[in-house]
Amino acid sequence: MHAVRNIKLCTKDCLCLYVCPTGATDTETGQIDALKCLDGCRACVDACPSHAISLVPDEYPPQQIKSTAVKNSLLALSESKAKQEAIAEEILKSTENPAIQQLAKAISASNKLMIEDLLREAGYMLPQSQNVKDFIQTLLDTSQPEDFPKEATERLLELLSKNLSMEENKMSNNKTLDNLMAAFTGESEANRRYLAYSRKAKKDGNKNAAKLFKAASDAETIHALKHFEVANKVGTTHDNLLDAIAGETHEYKEMYPEFLEIAETEGNDEAIRTFTYAMKAEEVHARLYKEALENVDDIEEVFYYLCPLCGNIEKVRPDKCALCGLPGDKFIKY
Amino acid sequence: MKKYICNICGFVYDEATGHPDTGIAPGTEWKDVPSDWVCPLCGAPKEDFKEKAVKVATVAPASSVQDDSTDDLRELSNGEVSALFSNLSKGCEKQYLEEAADLFGQLSSYYKSKTMPSEEKYFDDLLALIEADLNSSYLTGNEIAESFADRGSLRALAWGEKVTLMLNSLINRYKLEKDSLTENTNIYVCDICGFVFIGDEAPDICPVCKVPKIKLTKVQRGQQNARS
Repeated sequence: MHAVRNIKLCTKDCLCLYVCPTGATDTETGQIDALKCLDGCRACVDACPSHAISLVPDEYPPQQIKSTAVKNSLLALSESKAKQEAIAEEILKSTENPAIQQLAKAISASNKLMIEDLLREAGYMLPQSQNVKDFIQTLLDTSQPEDFPKEATERLLELLSKNLSMEENKMSNNKTLDNLMAAFTGESEANRRYLAYSRKAKKDGNKNAAKLFKAASDAETIHALKHFEVANKVGTTHDNLLDAIAGETHEYKEMYPEFLEIAETEGNDEAIRTFTYAMKAEEVHARLYKEALENVDDIEEVFYYLCPLCGNIEKVRPDKCALCGLPGDKFIKY
Repeated sequence: MKKYICNICGFVYDEATGHPDTGIAPGTEWKDVPSDWVCPLCGAPKEDFKEKAVKVATVAPASSVQDDSTDDLRELSNGEVSALFSNLSKGCEKQYLEEAADLFGQLSSYYKSKTMPSEEKYFDDLLALIEADLNSSYLTGNEIAESFADRGSLRALAWGEKVTLMLNSLINRYKLEKDSLTENTNIYVCDICGFVFIGDEAPDICPVCKVPKIKLTKVQRGQQNARS
């Protein structure tokens, strides 16, 4: 959604210039620079004392579906009105009487407006709708007289398609989706890495470095979440629970057993411990996600208790952690 | 005492109160209202009023229209395609999509230039089509749109029917009164619904679609300044 200014209503109080964070409202033409305008910001809309600014969507919902019977009855009328418009034009042409000319012009204009309204309701309301694009495509697909404005028609179709499938275009046939996911992975990793560095700096008494690492770690979370969102990877909660179950199950059934085997061969005891805790905890997580999925519509509040040592999660605060033995009073309640 | 309602804009004439502003004293029966009296809101003549019925409980229509007409829609005439595109051009203007508005405008002009001149060219030819619209097409259209609960279409039909009624009475009045109908006064057309108003000043709002006065455009006398 970007802002547009209705020049007819604008009283040049210029509050929009004061509140716009990007300077998009300050242009010579009086129109707002759509490229600079922030999606859905609406600071200028709310500030404008003459209500001259509104938000225009970049995408529109599909058009209302019209029944063929209704369409046919509207078209019966538009056919008649088109004839009347043509008759009025003939009357206009065939007389020298200015009073008749005036009346004929009014009748012609009136009929034209009625045809427009009838066709609008017959399914051609929104310029970007599929109906309109199909109609234009048909014109291009059928043979047309030589003077048919083919280039203008093709350009029009291109403009309308671009406008409607903006999101699809962004995500198809390009590497941006891959890059968004690569950036998500990198930022997520950096977030954890900086958190670890921050803890180390804190332990060493280097408060400032600890703070910077913590702030940067949070910043990477912001980036990672935004990349993930733009890549359109956040589904419904139902779908997200399914995704989480699949991920945790893969980890405890396949990934960690394999990692453990290698760590045992290599005799890395600390790795064996952290892999084991994680494997057992992921199994618990998978079970909890399954339960949450079954009860996704329940409104009764549930509490979760997290073991800060091994990552186990319980629904009731335990005496001690079933996986690592940490006392239950250390668990963090969610 | 009875009440009479204007078919076009819904203005109600109440015999009990009359309409002193236009010289009709309270208590004047409808039959005694002069025949050249016109609706104070929209200028419709007296014959476009009907007695206001006392509301009776409406019975839901028994018949329902099935949408079994799966045939393709008929091909639109060039005049209709021109209007389809001019309307889409307006749709783009509203979204501030200047280039698309201009391209739709080009297509509209192209189809306008391809419109065949009408072989019929008399007011009576118009009246014949208007009569068919009022006596048949609007009735059928309303019934079908109602059975599909298509509010948008019902709205377009309601506005169009009122505008058509007004055109009907204007053409009939012109046949009787000739040029004196519009002498020393103006004609306005509503940019939104096509309502035609004859009067010195445009009404504050369109009597049919209720848009403010600013959307009512004055039609110049003579051939010049034809509306786009």
